[in-house]
Amino acid sequence: MNKLFIISAMAAVCLVAATVLAQEKPPTKEELDEVKGIVNDLTESSTEYKTYVDALRKIKITGYLQTQFRLTNLNATGGQFSGGSFPANVNKMFQVRRGRLKVNYDNVLTQFVIQIDAIQTGFTLKDAYLSLTEPWLQSFGFQMGVFDRPFGYEISLSSGSRESPERSRMFQTLFPGERELGAKLFYAPQLGAMSFMRADLGVFNGSGPTANEFDNFKDVIGHIGIQLPFEEATAALDLGVSGYFGKVRNNTKYLWMDGSPVSGVKGFVADSSLSNRGDGVTRRYLGADFQFYIDVPYVGGLTLRGEIISGKQPGASDTVSAKSPNGKNLTTISPAAQPTGPVYQRRFIGWYLNFVQNIGDKEQIVVKYDVYDPNSDVRGSDFIAASNLSAADIKYSTLGLGFIHHWDETIKFVLYYEIVKNEVLNPSTSLTSLIGDVRDNVFTFRVQYKF
Amino acid sequence: MKSIMMVAGIFILMSSVLLGAEVITVKGSDTMVILAQRWAERYMAAHPDVTIQVTGGGSGTGISALINGTTDICDASRPMKKSERDKLKQRFGTLGVEIKCAQDGLSIYVNEGNPITELTMQQIKDIYLGNTTNWQDIGGPNQRIILYGRENNSGTYVYFKDNVLDGQDFAATTQSLPGTAAVVNAVAKDKWGVGYGGSAYGKGIRELKVKKDAQSTAYAPTLENIKSAEYPISRYLYMYVKNRPTGKMKEYIDWILGDEGQNIVSEVGYFPLR
Repeated sequence: MNKLFIISAMAAVCLVAATVLAQEKPPTKEELDEVKGIVNDLTESSTEYKTYVDALRKIKITGYLQTQFRLTNLNATGGQFSGGSFPANVNKMFQVRRGRLKVNYDNVLTQFVIQIDAIQTGFTLKDAYLSLTEPWLQSFGFQMGVFDRPFGYEISLSSGSRESPERSRMFQTLFPGERELGAKLFYAPQLGAMSFMRADLGVFNGSGPTANEFDNFKDVIGHIGIQLPFEEATAALDLGVSGYFGKVRNNTKYLWMDGSPVSGVKGFVADSSLSNRGDGVTRRYLGADFQFYIDVPYVGGLTLRGEIISGKQPGASDTVSAKSPNGKNLTTISPAAQPTGPVYQRRFIGWYLNFVQNIGDKEQIVVKYDVYDPNSDVRGSDFIAASNLSAADIKYSTLGLGFIHHWDETIKFVLYYEIVKNEVLNPSTSLTSLIGDVRDNVFTFRVQYKF
Repeated sequence: MKSIMMVAGIFILMSSVLLGAEVITVKGSDTMVILAQRWAERYMAAHPDVTIQVTGGGSGTGISALINGTTDICDASRPMKKSERDKLKQRFGTLGVEIKCAQDGLSIYVNEGNPITELTMQQIKDIYLGNTTNWQDIGGPNQRIILYGRENNSGTYVYFKDNVLDGQDFAATTQSLPGTAAVVNAVAKDKWGVGYGGSAYGKGIRELKVKKDAQSTAYAPTLENIKSAEYPISRYLYMYVKNRPTGKMKEYIDWILGDEGQNIVSEVGYFPLR
């Protein structure tokens, strides 16, 4: 707009000047004054427009739209970690996965961010936060609102940039929705000797990104990362460690822990002390992440990422997964009220490795393998008839194979196939449908527009 | 007949794509745009099999284009920021390759009618932060200082802000202009104006000597003073590519870093690497 105005102004001046020069007689003082007046007017207008343009430049609007077609070989409800469950009697469908619009007012050291998601099922608020960086060192900052939890790497890797269609199963389980209501401090120097480091530490509600808070326990989440560039080798290694220290209120007197409900049988035993009601059940995760980058001559950049998380997760007894934060019948990622069921405390472990090879500027080959064991105290053979283990205790692994073509800087096509394997259970289990590997592989074809 | 013509048309189109000249796109720093154009013209004259397209827009714009995959080479008058490198890593799995291709002294311009001849770094900082607003305060006449600078997508703007203003914001009265040439023109017309920019543009106006502090010697932005690091506001000019360059792009970059390319650096008014 600024350039357009300047060009128009220059054209106007040229036109007037050409008219004056085209006359046979030299311009009179009045004519020159007229030109001078026009130039002064234009200069004044230009200054005024510039004020508007400078203000508008601070507003950055970005967004992306993801449309996709998914196909599974299971004609039932499956694929919940591969883009969402298929409805009954459906094994192929089109979807609008994301319709994001993000507005960022960037005033250099202060920021205002709002992001909404509009898909066929409605609108959701995703991000809404303010951020400020101190002006002296420009290294320390503060952020408050609803935003990504500062844990690990994959949480903050937007699906607009991520190569696999969905995050790893452990992140979908432990951090559903990725975001959380809270406040954090960060240290992120852009220049100087410490610019290789970033640290974030925050306090959050712990009840999910859009829920009303339902207990007085606040969760502390933090991440410290360092970047080690190896310029000569055109390679880089980024490393990070994370911690999550929180509690979830138990609304019952029952706290189920790993143990032996019957002699020789693994499962859960209940602590039914009255003091359990209203008490906080530990939610604690420790994680480590790495990202390795290297330029492969004549081919393109190679990325290898990995993360591992282990800890204690308070969850429900019989949901398909032990999704956060806890409670029975947790079908939504953010319960709007206090979960009413008893709490099951599990020790879990999850990890993934993600390999991406760029082929030139346009193509990418992706291989991803992720494992999530929601109850690391038991194995498949422990699921015997006498056990009180449930589907929420089954270990899963997923091998993803993908191909991405970047049509231009805005559009990309993704072909991705996920081979999902569940832990093979003891034949005597009551979970008869899970004795063998369930046929729940998922193929995704996605087209994304990002600006 | 129609189908034969169509096949022939497709064949011609594909041939022109496959057999045509290799195109290298260069985008970025306005400070470097004249230098980049001169390199491209001279190289294409000697290598007709290569087409080099040069556009400006600012270092930030060039770096964004590199991250978006819409340029092969990004010219930048400042180093890439950490956040920009992170985006490049995320999209292309590479750190990018930084190539220093010239040196530049960032000149402080005043109008030829201004009696001031030298400033300390602190005085320059105070002027652009808005703490010093009258030439009288630094030994000049009783006249208000008119500030000219660059737009915030410019590498020169970022470099000046980070290295002269220690990261603090420019005074709100600074008039930002598109390109160093515009800053020079503005100062040339405004007797009490002050501006900053690449030395290559510093023709027709006076470049001030600059000293590190009040006790130091003042140095002009000359080749010797920049190479010896006596002149305090000097910088490298960079080219960035996504991957280690190969083929025609490598040949072009090697040529820029060679004798012929570095001679052009001097011709345009910047300082060669050696």
